[in-house]
Amino acid sequence: MLEEKRKTVTERLASPDIRDEFGLETMDMNMGPQHPAMHGLLRLILELDGETIVRCDPIMGYLHRCQEKIAENRMYPAVIPLTDRLDYFANMHNEHGYCLAVEDLLDVEIPPRAEYIRVLMCELMRIASHIPSIGFLLLELGAFTPILYAFRERERIQDIFEAVTGARMMFHYIRIGGVKADLPPEIPEKIWNYIEGLERRIQPDFIDLIEGNEIFISRTRGVGKMTPEQAVELGLTGPPLRCTGVDFDVRRDYPYSVYPELEFDVITDDAGDVEASYRVRIREVWQSIRIIKQCLEKMPEGEVMADLGRRLRPPEGEGFGRVEGPRGEFAVHVVSDGSDVPYRVHYRDPSFVNMQLLQEIVPGHYLPDIMPIMGLIDPVSGGWDK
Amino acid sequence: MAISLPEGSLEERLRRYLEGLSGSHGLEEAGIEGNVVRVVARPEDVPAVLATARERLGILHLSFITVVDRGDGDFELTYELLDLRGGRVRVRTNLRSEEPVIGTVTHIYPTANWHEREAYDMFGVAFAGHPDLRRVYMWQDHFDHHPLLKSFEISTKRTFEGLR
Repeated sequence: MLEEKRKTVTERLASPDIRDEFGLETMDMNMGPQHPAMHGLLRLILELDGETIVRCDPIMGYLHRCQEKIAENRMYPAVIPLTDRLDYFANMHNEHGYCLAVEDLLDVEIPPRAEYIRVLMCELMRIASHIPSIGFLLLELGAFTPILYAFRERERIQDIFEAVTGARMMFHYIRIGGVKADLPPEIPEKIWNYIEGLERRIQPDFIDLIEGNEIFISRTRGVGKMTPEQAVELGLTGPPLRCTGVDFDVRRDYPYSVYPELEFDVITDDAGDVEASYRVRIREVWQSIRIIKQCLEKMPEGEVMADLGRRLRPPEGEGFGRVEGPRGEFAVHVVSDGSDVPYRVHYRDPSFVNMQLLQEIVPGHYLPDIMPIMGLIDPVSGGWDK
Repeated sequence: MAISLPEGSLEERLRRYLEGLSGSHGLEEAGIEGNVVRVVARPEDVPAVLATARERLGILHLSFITVVDRGDGDFELTYELLDLRGGRVRVRTNLRSEEPVIGTVTHIYPTANWHEREAYDMFGVAFAGHPDLRRVYMWQDHFDHHPLLKSFEISTKRTFEGLR
């Protein structure tokens, strides 16, 4: 139906005669950059025919810091705190991706305990990103309670992060060659207790509250509908790709760290709309809980940092790191010229690439459907603007 | 589902990709390293190489495009392709020009649209045939620089200068 609607609109507008005859005119409207419901600083130029969107043109760069240029003027370890500021809902994944790229360049072995701690932290981070993103989606649909529940969970995870790393958001915890420090002795038990409680709370606090709600269904079912072909063509990764039924997960298909030793399922859904992306996200939280439990059980004792010397001077060449962030594939390409400063660092951020679907998918929808579609992509300003 | 993801063992697939790519184009270099097929092509062949990868070999995903400025108008472009099942193809090309131009791949991989816009914005590499080659981060008017070029100096160059 959406296809038809879109076709009629485009056909109508393509014919100048009809336009003159009926006095049809489209209206340009700015949405953002300062918009209460927008995910960060993003300006959308919308061309509207009545309330139907004909064209959507995202304008980015309001938070552009040129991280890649700054990284070219810092020594290798000093880039890690900068990567925290990329996608600030997936700090651990950014650090992990960058460290994997530099370790690829250096060709070093990481102590197994450090690998487990990294995976543990990344999965906690994924929960702390997926649950608030569901909260944001519902907040934008007018429901205020889920965001409070979501932030209750995020706060508790941040407390764990604070105990482990000393910071609540900008961690600088994953280092080249390992992690900064071992887990404090009481932390494994604290994490275990927390995720046991979370596992019990997901069903009543999120799934029962959201799924089946009439308003939620009418605002999200069939909205942002895409086919697997479209999703693959647009280069989507993460939940926006998996909600169309293409099962691709970097953790399974391009394994890194200790993921090959862990058991988990890749969650997919066939509907390919906003509701499906919500379902994928909430079910991935369960898989993250599974991974965290296995990590805590299997974690070996030992060192958490490889000895790399005081000054890092990777050999000439290039390194690649690729991790599955909460929003999709986060890849880092580091080029070295043999000095202690990277010659070039390139980040492939999932928010940036996934946002391309705004141009393709949004036309044909009504204006209020923009916000659920933003909830499908769940972009983060620091991510798309680098 | 209409998307067909590749099947079979990884080594076999990588060999197939290498044969498929090196058979049809005059490549400067081609080889397998780990699970990566590394290919060096002439700039004018890049769209054709990627078209072969997408249409004949069925590699679905373009992960990113990296430009490296080697100074004096020497640019290195890396196209990283994933088959979504463990195989990687890395197409590399060298552009030697003060005003670099290379053919677009947006008609083969539509996702390249914003990657190419970013490369244009940051390095001034023009992509011939691109449908919408605007800057993506910097402002469009009255800004004539390309910030990631090595010739673009920033004021706080080299912190830690005293340490080295």
